[in-house]
Amino acid sequence: MIFKPAIGVAGLLGRPYKTIRLEWSSDLRLLRVRTCVRPIQCYSLAAMGELQQMLDDISANPGLVRHFVMSSDVPNVFNFGGDLALFVLLVRAGDIDSLRLYGKRCVDLVWWMEHAANLGVHTTVLVQGDTLGGGLESVLPFHKVIFERRAQAGFPEVLFNLFPGMGAWDFTIRKAGFAVANEMILSGRLYSADELHYRRLVDVVVGDGQGEVAIDTVVRDVDPRHRGTLAALRAQRMAAPIRYESLLAIVDLWAESALGLTDRDLRLMERLARAQARKAGGAADGAVEELKLMELEAAWGDRRGRFDRRNVSNDRRVRS
Amino acid sequence: MLSFFAELVSATDEDRRGFETHPVVIDAVANGMPLERYRALLLELYHVVWHFNPVSAAAASRIGDEHIAVRHFLYEHMHEESGHELWVLNDLEAVGVAPEAVRAHVPALHTLALNGYNYWAADRRHPCSVLGMLYALEVIASVYGGPFAAAIRESLLLDGDRGVSFLASHASLDTRHMAELRQVMNAVRAEDALAAVVESARVNFHHFTRIIEAI
Repeated sequence: MIFKPAIGVAGLLGRPYKTIRLEWSSDLRLLRVRTCVRPIQCYSLAAMGELQQMLDDISANPGLVRHFVMSSDVPNVFNFGGDLALFVLLVRAGDIDSLRLYGKRCVDLVWWMEHAANLGVHTTVLVQGDTLGGGLESVLPFHKVIFERRAQAGFPEVLFNLFPGMGAWDFTIRKAGFAVANEMILSGRLYSADELHYRRLVDVVVGDGQGEVAIDTVVRDVDPRHRGTLAALRAQRMAAPIRYESLLAIVDLWAESALGLTDRDLRLMERLARAQARKAGGAADGAVEELKLMELEAAWGDRRGRFDRRNVSNDRRVRS
Repeated sequence: MLSFFAELVSATDEDRRGFETHPVVIDAVANGMPLERYRALLLELYHVVWHFNPVSAAAASRIGDEHIAVRHFLYEHMHEESGHELWVLNDLEAVGVAPEAVRAHVPALHTLALNGYNYWAADRRHPCSVLGMLYALEVIASVYGGPFAAAIRESLLLDGDRGVSFLASHASLDTRHMAELRQVMNAVRAEDALAAVVESARVNFHHFTRIIEAI
């Protein structure tokens, strides 16, 4: 399909999107994007296609958008990350091409965010609910990351023997350092907004319901110093560059690792998908609660494993 | 260049998501189903599974040597799927529906539409369209069958695989089937055959969603 760029604000807003909702503030030349992949808010292929088209439209209209602000339209969820059912399908089919393609599409989105300053766009994201795996990865390249206090986030992939492969390592290391990236990615645990702020992954934490005011404050603070701020942010990213080739190489590794998932790993993934479905169906507990349960089970498993190993080595000593 | 299987996954992703995110499916995967609705689903499923091999046979009989790999794949596949409608029959018996009642059951309109389309597509559209049917139904079985079986087991307090043997076993069985299906699809080159596979997968997702919606 040949990409025909939209012309001007009317063209930008006029596309018939299903998974994103756009609003325009002409005084600030601010494009507000609200994601709404219902009923399970994740990065489905369609959602990523629409996001990419909207970003390509911005690129095709240089100077039109000065501020880009993203948030979720789904209550209590920013984004659950990857489309788990699609992963299960591709892993079961042994389809590494599609896994790589999915990863590349994710990387292209974060890569646009990474270079938004080059296009004259300042980016802000507001997270008001849970964001997991790819959801958190997608947030990290924004210039300003705002979390409401109730929001929780983490990289749970290790719990089902995978790792976050679409920018988590590069962006977390750059923002928070190697030790934090190590801790977050290898533990798989969830973090509160304040914990993420303490680790410098989140720039601003505000009370629940205060996110919109925080966006306004950020945008109005940046707007008078827009050109200088963007120049500084470009320099910041030149000083600590992230390479597209490195992101793609990690995607390849991620796809290869995904193909090695066992039936047990896939069942854990399905368990998480089922929890997402419960939440989408109106239940109080969802993926986050299921992850906490998995963390607990993993911890108990570890302890039991250590206990068993100790017993085995004691047993061996006794025998010898 | 992207493989055909990868293109099929992309081209039918919204149809798959349409099934997965349908409120009835979401509710069934999350909470299971009341007994009466599960019985109704199995009754429809019996008639879908019953026609699985005859549709494959109809397609195989029309596939020439230009797609010999597909024809041979269908032979193997039919052999493996042979008798699986009896698993559904056993599950129905386990949840209180006698075999005579199953055989006397008149399929719902959506089930007739699904089966009717698959025979028509094999006969009139393109015999390789059967691969689209296999893809859609094996995605449903291998990706959603496991969580759905777990939800049914919990909600109906079933013991082990009793009453859910078809769903539970296909969740793991179709893992290998999916990989084989991908390989055979990637060997198909003719544009008309590939278009027919995509159409068939979309129609099968659509009708199967309607079947579940209606029960």
